[in-house]
Amino acid sequence: MMARVLAGRARPSFDTDRLAVFALAAAVVVPLLLFVALPLVAILRLSFVTPAGGIGLANYATAFASPKFARIVGNSLLVSATTTLITVMLAYGFAYAQKRTAMPCKRALGAIALLPLYAPSLVQALGILFLFGRNGIVNRTFGLGIDIYGFWGIVIADVFYSFPHAYLILAAALAVGDARLYESAHMLGAGAARIFRTVTLPSTRYGIISATFVVFTIVITDFGNPVVIGADYGVLATEIYNQVSGQSRLELGAVIGVVLLIPAALAVIIEKLIASTQHAAITAGARPLSIARRPARDRAAFAYAALVCAGIAAIVIVVFVASFVRLWPYNMQPSLRHYRFEVQNGIAPLWTSIVVSLMAAVIGVFAAVTAACAARWLKPVLAQALYFLSVVPAAIPGMVLGLGYLLAFNDPANPLEVLYGTLLILAICNVYHYHAQGYLIATTSLGQIGRVFDETSTCLGARATRTLRAVILPLLAPAIASIAVFFFVRSMVTLSAVIFLVTPVTQLAAVSVLLLDDSGNQNQAAAFSVCIMLIVGVALAVFHALVTLAGRWRGGSARAVAAAASPYVATHA
Amino acid sequence: MPPGTVYLTLRGIRKSFDGLTALDDVSLDVDEGEFVCFLGPSGCGKTTLLRIVAGLEEPDAADIRIAGRNLADIPARERNFGIVFQSYSLFPNMSVARNIAYGLECRQWRRNDVRARVDEMLALVNLAEHAGKLPHQLSGGQQQRVAIARALAPNPAVLLLDEPLSALDAKVREELRAEIKDLQSRLRITTIMVTHDQHEAMEVADRIVVMNQGRIEQTGRPVELYERPANRFVAAFVGRMNVVRDVHGHRVAGIRPEHVELVNGRGVDDDCRTARVARAVFLGSITRATLDVDGQTLTIELPGRRDDLVPGGDVAIRIPRAALLHLDGDA
Repeated sequence: MMARVLAGRARPSFDTDRLAVFALAAAVVVPLLLFVALPLVAILRLSFVTPAGGIGLANYATAFASPKFARIVGNSLLVSATTTLITVMLAYGFAYAQKRTAMPCKRALGAIALLPLYAPSLVQALGILFLFGRNGIVNRTFGLGIDIYGFWGIVIADVFYSFPHAYLILAAALAVGDARLYESAHMLGAGAARIFRTVTLPSTRYGIISATFVVFTIVITDFGNPVVIGADYGVLATEIYNQVSGQSRLELGAVIGVVLLIPAALAVIIEKLIASTQHAAITAGARPLSIARRPARDRAAFAYAALVCAGIAAIVIVVFVASFVRLWPYNMQPSLRHYRFEVQNGIAPLWTSIVVSLMAAVIGVFAAVTAACAARWLKPVLAQALYFLSVVPAAIPGMVLGLGYLLAFNDPANPLEVLYGTLLILAICNVYHYHAQGYLIATTSLGQIGRVFDETSTCLGARATRTLRAVILPLLAPAIASIAVFFFVRSMVTLSAVIFLVTPVTQLAAVSVLLLDDSGNQNQAAAFSVCIMLIVGVALAVFHALVTLAGRWRGGSARAVAAAASPYVATHA
Repeated sequence: MPPGTVYLTLRGIRKSFDGLTALDDVSLDVDEGEFVCFLGPSGCGKTTLLRIVAGLEEPDAADIRIAGRNLADIPARERNFGIVFQSYSLFPNMSVARNIAYGLECRQWRRNDVRARVDEMLALVNLAEHAGKLPHQLSGGQQQRVAIARALAPNPAVLLLDEPLSALDAKVREELRAEIKDLQSRLRITTIMVTHDQHEAMEVADRIVVMNQGRIEQTGRPVELYERPANRFVAAFVGRMNVVRDVHGHRVAGIRPEHVELVNGRGVDDDCRTARVARAVFLGSITRATLDVDGQTLTIELPGRRDDLVPGGDVAIRIPRAALLHLDGDA
């Protein structure tokens, strides 16, 4: 019977499982320090290096002293506040129509609302210019003098751009509700307006606050729309670009980056704090809402939702059409001439974008899953620290991160300078730009896999590495696919961070759109945008096909995996 | 080591969570081949104790030895304990056979040995024809049998069962309960099972450890616990117990419902009383009635159907002196 006890080791050796967990944690923390902390430090340091070469506030003094700077800060805040107000109200109505009414075509309308996620931000501005710009179809057809450039152009473009983010958050908030509250309010004689004001609004207040801060962050850090449609109306994100790329004043770019970092970081921190306090919104015993048909309300909801979707779709359609005519809006003959891409690097940036996005998908999956696994197995205090480090990148605007990369990795003193000018640095930059979101998908999915699996595996004698390989990763497969698609899509459409890192050899498609638009080739810019959107569409279609196929493939095996994990795959932006 | 010798010893086990005491100086010996049940209400510390034995929970203080060997620095992975959880916890991405083979693969068994052992275990739990199925294709009872086979496959030193039957339907639960007992007596494997169900514990256990608020209240064979409960808690938790005052010279005493007798007429001796029937319920094999005796409530159980127990009617009962249990504790 003694033989049954243990495998016969004389003394317990060093626990390899603890080593594995610390190795995982190191594989998360070291890259985060290199690719997030280091660029941030670089940008902070440069902002304090005076023209004389000392350390001081001279750059800040120069920036703050100029009236232009104060105006730009004011512009940024005003644009962001206005856009946030409009977007959150529009999205609340749309989410309400989706979740609280029985309107028809919910799925189609919901899908259309997400379209802006799958295009570079400047596509919104491009579409609006095709419609209302100086050479837009409206002004040309009706001979009007609508001037869309500047404040209102940015606001409208960014409303569309940020709409899906607000919609997803508010839909999640409106999807849950306690039917008992509504019934008792109704029984007490409250009318629809009163119920909305006293029950619906208060129970979704966290969603509203969260959406407000998320939209504010997106708008104040957006670069694509203001650069295309802003004209002379400068905002912080475009001003960084002007200082760095236009005037080679890196230190002033750094100062503006630090200034932009403050509201963006504050908004993210406040949003996370609020999100962490909203657990008990629905108590045990709550009954889910059941939505009854009410023809008048449902028709009104449909009309509203259809109107919003028409606006979103119009922009995409206009960009499509503009790319297929000889010269929008003067010559509407069908033509493929804009797809010849005769300028600059031709079609090459598109391939570069695909390669970079694939790299980002692979690295992003590795980074996000490693971080989530390390957090799962670390002691709670360390896991908290890891969580904090992993979501910090959400607070860093893309323009700031990109400039930080330029400063940190275009520096001969940095051994990692070899990365500069490569595709790899672009992929890495995208991964850490969107690290927080990828990590949250991974950690939410992982959280749905019971710890009892880890414990069972351990008690059966498996090392942490085997548990990970044989149990955790297979169960996480759908989430991994979902994270990969997330990083791929973000990398295809992002502009702000990589704008500082591309070289003529490593130019990306989204940057091409910007440069084509900048040089007056709006139709070719549209064609490039269409290519990006098509590739994103293909990636999403492949993802959905894989998930569907996985259900049928190898009989029940993959289906079981999906059954175990599919309800837990976090929906992602 | 012959059966009956002490195999697993637990000494001075303490554990608290955020200042709340979960285990307060628990000590216990388990014999080789013995089937021990940790029985108690939820929150009594029984699961925590099992998890500490398994190595899944870090105790604040403990001395745990198996066959004399200290387990302090040995991680769960190397303890060679088989464990079965309430939630089955079969790996959903693996077939039944691969689930059972998992522990053997961790121990680097040769492929042929693994196959032979898996077949042997499948036969043991009567699931041979389900080898290639995935867990979600099996019923709850079948899944739990696979989990047991998986835990037993690597010849564990101890089998740990954490409420293994709680997730199952009543009927399946009874079948599997008998099956577990049968397996355990055939394999003579030292087994600890956590349960909150007294019937379960009484059916399978050689010895029951009654726990309450992080302490062991009493340890003993099922019969001992039933007939000689150490205190009121054990008396009430193992079986039903009437607590009566001022009878036959006892200030407080206990009597099991089935020990109260119904007598005809005026009664034969001074153990007899008159009682008023408050409620009577026919439960199939027995009838259970609640009586009012001099202002005290008394539950009695009589075999079969008893139409003579009519609510509001009077009956004569006898509380036999010999059946009274002296109850100490927080009387």
